[in-house]
Amino acid sequence: MVKTSNFILFLLFVFIQIILSALIDFGPLLFISIYPLFLLTRPVNTSLPSLMIWAFITGLTVDYFSNTILGINSFASVMMVFFQFRILGLVCRKGDMDNQERPGLRELGFTRFSAYLGISILLHHMTFSMVESFGLTHFIYNLPRVIISVAVNSFLIILIEYGVFYKNWR
Amino acid sequence: MWGKSPFIRALTTLLLFLALQGFSLIIISRESLFQSVRIGGVVMHLKTGVSGFTSDINYYFGLGDVNDMLRAENLKLLRELELYKKISPHSDSLLKSGEVTPDFSYIPAKVVANSTNKLHNYIILNKGRKNGVEKDMGVISPRGVVGVVTSVSDHFSYVISFLNINQSVSAKITPSMAFGPLIWEGRRTDYATLIEIPYHINFMVGDTVYTSGFSTLFPPDLPLGTVRKSEVTKGSHHNIQVKLFQDFSTLHYVNIVVNNNKEELDLIQGRTNGKDK
Repeated sequence: MVKTSNFILFLLFVFIQIILSALIDFGPLLFISIYPLFLLTRPVNTSLPSLMIWAFITGLTVDYFSNTILGINSFASVMMVFFQFRILGLVCRKGDMDNQERPGLRELGFTRFSAYLGISILLHHMTFSMVESFGLTHFIYNLPRVIISVAVNSFLIILIEYGVFYKNWR
Repeated sequence: MWGKSPFIRALTTLLLFLALQGFSLIIISRESLFQSVRIGGVVMHLKTGVSGFTSDINYYFGLGDVNDMLRAENLKLLRELELYKKISPHSDSLLKSGEVTPDFSYIPAKVVANSTNKLHNYIILNKGRKNGVEKDMGVISPRGVVGVVTSVSDHFSYVISFLNINQSVSAKITPSMAFGPLIWEGRRTDYATLIEIPYHINFMVGDTVYTSGFSTLFPPDLPLGTVRKSEVTKGSHHNIQVKLFQDFSTLHYVNIVVNNNKEELDLIQGRTNGKDK
């Protein structure tokens, strides 16, 4: 049951991501990536290796169907997921998440969830832009793009989280 | 058992992370030209660095063979040169008779022990009586005079180094060919003093000093060093400070000089001395 729901969620996220990023052109200063929400709200008891494999497959699928360089999203999402539990440990107290399955908006509260989300998305986007330009030489030119994308994507993800999962989960 | 130890778990996680990231990078480099060029550049840099390092190591460990080869070749050339020197004045007759023996021949040797920090320095070489080394043979290197053999065992020979305040070498100064003894004053290992050069001899700083060939120990015209500065002593002679070509602290391979005419020379000298006395 859990497995199928995960799979359906995965397909939905990838589908929305592809529609948003590939079919709508937002210009060079913004890239849409909302699939990190799927990875960030994996159950807390998931082991890190399986989480990384999830991230890799998600990233690769998104890459394959959208116009990005193949492998770049998988690199960024694996990087993000690798530090995911540490970031989660930053925003919530020890033992806080023991009874919770999903680190979502309802469970964490708005402030902690947005902090968790913001840091993770920032890490993801930084990695993304660094791999894209492959080095720190274009870092200054990439910075506005990263900042705008982090803001827009965080906003979008919080909207989705609030509208879809906040009320209907369980 | 698997996954029980936190260390192994962390390690597998890290390995998986690296593997996934590496796989992503490979895909990226296959997909995009820009990234592949950059990655190729990094890989090439690493490769050249590593291969340069290993070739340096190989070169270092091959130095012994290279040295042996160069030494053998050098010896061959020196022998040939002595032959040419011998036959050049009267080439026809001797060349046909084929009975040319060079004035000097050489025995290559390796330095076993060496000292430079005393007033009476000595060197021990790995060739001895069984290799044909005898007492009172000169020892040279391509960069100058090294010393004189003073005692010989079966496999080793004991050499009084040129860096010995009792030692002197007969030397001449170009272009005037004035000669005098070159001695070491015991202060610096890279300088020696050429004394008893008459006052009227002209020379310049930078002129080369050679062995004179007036002793039976060393072949003539072996470069020893260059003139660095001079002073006049007692109003009649120059004392010339000579910068030696030979660096005694890095001495490894030398040639022992065998004078093929030594017996004859000693004989005639002894006869004259006997007549004098």
